[in-house]
Amino acid sequence: MKRTIAFAVLAGLAATLFAAEVLVKGSDTMLNLTQRLAEAFSAVQPDISVSITGGGSGVGINAITNGECDIANASREIKSKEISTARANGVNPVGIVIAIDGLSVIVSEKNSVEKLTPEQIGAIYRGEIKNWNQVGGPNKKISLYGRQPSSGTFVFFRDAVVKGEYSVAMRQMNGNAQIIEALKTDEGGIGYVGVGYLREATGVKAVAVRNAKGEYVSPLDEKKVEAGLYPLTRPLYQYTSGKPKGNARKFIEFELSPKGQEIVKQEGFFPVTSDYQEHNKAALGK
Amino acid sequence: MRKALVFAALALFAAQGLALEPKQAELEHNGWFRYTNQSTSFGITNPDVSRFALERGYIRLSYQWSSQFFTKFTLDFFSSDKYAEGSTVRLKEGYADLALPLKDFNLTAGLQKHYFGLIYSWDYTHPDKSLADIQGIAASADYGLTVNGFLPGGLGELQLGLYNGEGYKYAGKYVNKSPELLANLRLTPFAGVMAGVSVFRNAEDHVAYKNDVAAGKLSTDRKKWLLPDTVNKGRMGLAPVVKFAFGPVSLTGEYIIYNYTREFGYYTADSTTGKIVDSTRLVSEKRYAQSGLDLIPLVSLAKRKFDVYARITTWERKEDGTRNDAKSSLSYGGGFNYHFIRREKGKPGLALQVAWTRNQTKAEGAKPTDTFIAQFRFEWAQIVPEFIAQ
Repeated sequence: MKRTIAFAVLAGLAATLFAAEVLVKGSDTMLNLTQRLAEAFSAVQPDISVSITGGGSGVGINAITNGECDIANASREIKSKEISTARANGVNPVGIVIAIDGLSVIVSEKNSVEKLTPEQIGAIYRGEIKNWNQVGGPNKKISLYGRQPSSGTFVFFRDAVVKGEYSVAMRQMNGNAQIIEALKTDEGGIGYVGVGYLREATGVKAVAVRNAKGEYVSPLDEKKVEAGLYPLTRPLYQYTSGKPKGNARKFIEFELSPKGQEIVKQEGFFPVTSDYQEHNKAALGK
Repeated sequence: MRKALVFAALALFAAQGLALEPKQAELEHNGWFRYTNQSTSFGITNPDVSRFALERGYIRLSYQWSSQFFTKFTLDFFSSDKYAEGSTVRLKEGYADLALPLKDFNLTAGLQKHYFGLIYSWDYTHPDKSLADIQGIAASADYGLTVNGFLPGGLGELQLGLYNGEGYKYAGKYVNKSPELLANLRLTPFAGVMAGVSVFRNAEDHVAYKNDVAAGKLSTDRKKWLLPDTVNKGRMGLAPVVKFAFGPVSLTGEYIIYNYTREFGYYTADSTTGKIVDSTRLVSEKRYAQSGLDLIPLVSLAKRKFDVYARITTWERKEDGTRNDAKSSLSYGGGFNYHFIRREKGKPGLALQVAWTRNQTKAEGAKPTDTFIAQFRFEWAQIVPEFIAQ
């Protein structure tokens, strides 16, 4: 009996010590998506545990550079400085695109504004346009909501749309869900979130954004987003140290599989486009 | 187990991690509580070195004025038995950083990092200083104007600087009259290898001697009184640096070459009374050629909680072509760091650092000196949220 107990304890200990685990850290925009993918992955690979935490794209890239995770989620491309730092530490960051995000500019559903140009959105976030009536809306003061600086979404939106500095009046929220919650009760509010967060959101709506051809496109228009006609699309990356291998590779391959990409769509994001599929093949060494 | 074998802890770039965003301020504190013991052959303890000290007490305030403009100000409050006052404060950093139109490049003006050799990336994984700092070749910080930035594609980085040349320690009459020119290049062409070189040139560096410093005997009854206008001319430093990092193992090294000619100005004085017997200003010159190698192999274990390292250093000093044995040495030793909390940018860190070094000069009959350092190092940084909402 004692032997059996001892054996069971040792077996349990060994299982704990040598449990296959994939650590994922980074982008908050990708948090829900990756969690959903991990749940589905555990159904087909029950012996591999995937653990996911957020913190922002910068936090994830820093973690992969320091060997503290297997996969870094990043809603922006890695910077030259970050690559150099990683290489000096013996890490070669390799990026895989697992989904496409249509970054959505959202307002209260009670707001009459339906469409905006990127220039108008930029001026609003720089604090140069302060009232909705300056862009064809109601006479109501605009209140700004955005992400915190460690967020890749913060950086992407600043570089792609704001093209300057955010107004100091912008409230920095910790996540996409918090922005949506704030806008539900603020009729003068404007915010930006990953399109995946609009899937079940109520009380808010996405505005159509004018593209280079002069056409206003909604981020919910799947065909136009996939055709590259929505101006605020961006790839969502996962970075690994060198080409993905072992359990991390199994998880990434699952994410890129038809089943994984179906989950991407269910979560409100867009599947990887053909050009990024080629990029992924090279990154995976296929 | 695989997770335990993560890689080397000698982070080369102190600036890694999160950058501040416009209107953000960051408050940071670094404190090192250190015990040092120095003895000769484990026998005679050197009371000048053996002591408790708050070796560092940095209070650092950074502010990102806009995406183009950043300032940093650091005061170092340190305390040691070495100082008569018990404690003192010095300005360690104080600079403004302006983004240049060239992507990832900045112009930095003020008291800043001295980008020479391993000084630039020295993060005190080994608690002692970098070789150039130990040998007094270059201070870790200096007043200057630098252009620094990252090359595209993660290829590396480049710094070009115009410095005061005498570090942050000197002021007033000893401030340099001729600037130091410095270039530093680091290449990271692929993962696991960093190679680079630093070079500086300084036409003239005034030495902080005072009139009461004796500089040797001219004869049995005459000796030199050095004048404060003693200068080092034609200072040139060159330091190739390299780091290899594979898995949990890294090797960091630098080779330093340092040459200059010292011009002594002196009076002659009576060796017994010390009185000047001839007030004619005399001049003599001596050529110095110094070189040294510093190698630090390191293994990081247990999810980077534990670093074990060794350090091997050689130093050779030649004066007019002849080796000065008393100032040429071989050092070796090792130590470990235990990170209770591994420091990350914006987060606290706490580590115990222990290191032992044996230094053997090449002078005939000289006994080796052993230095033991144990210190707690505690650091934290916090973005100040009140500034954000202003």
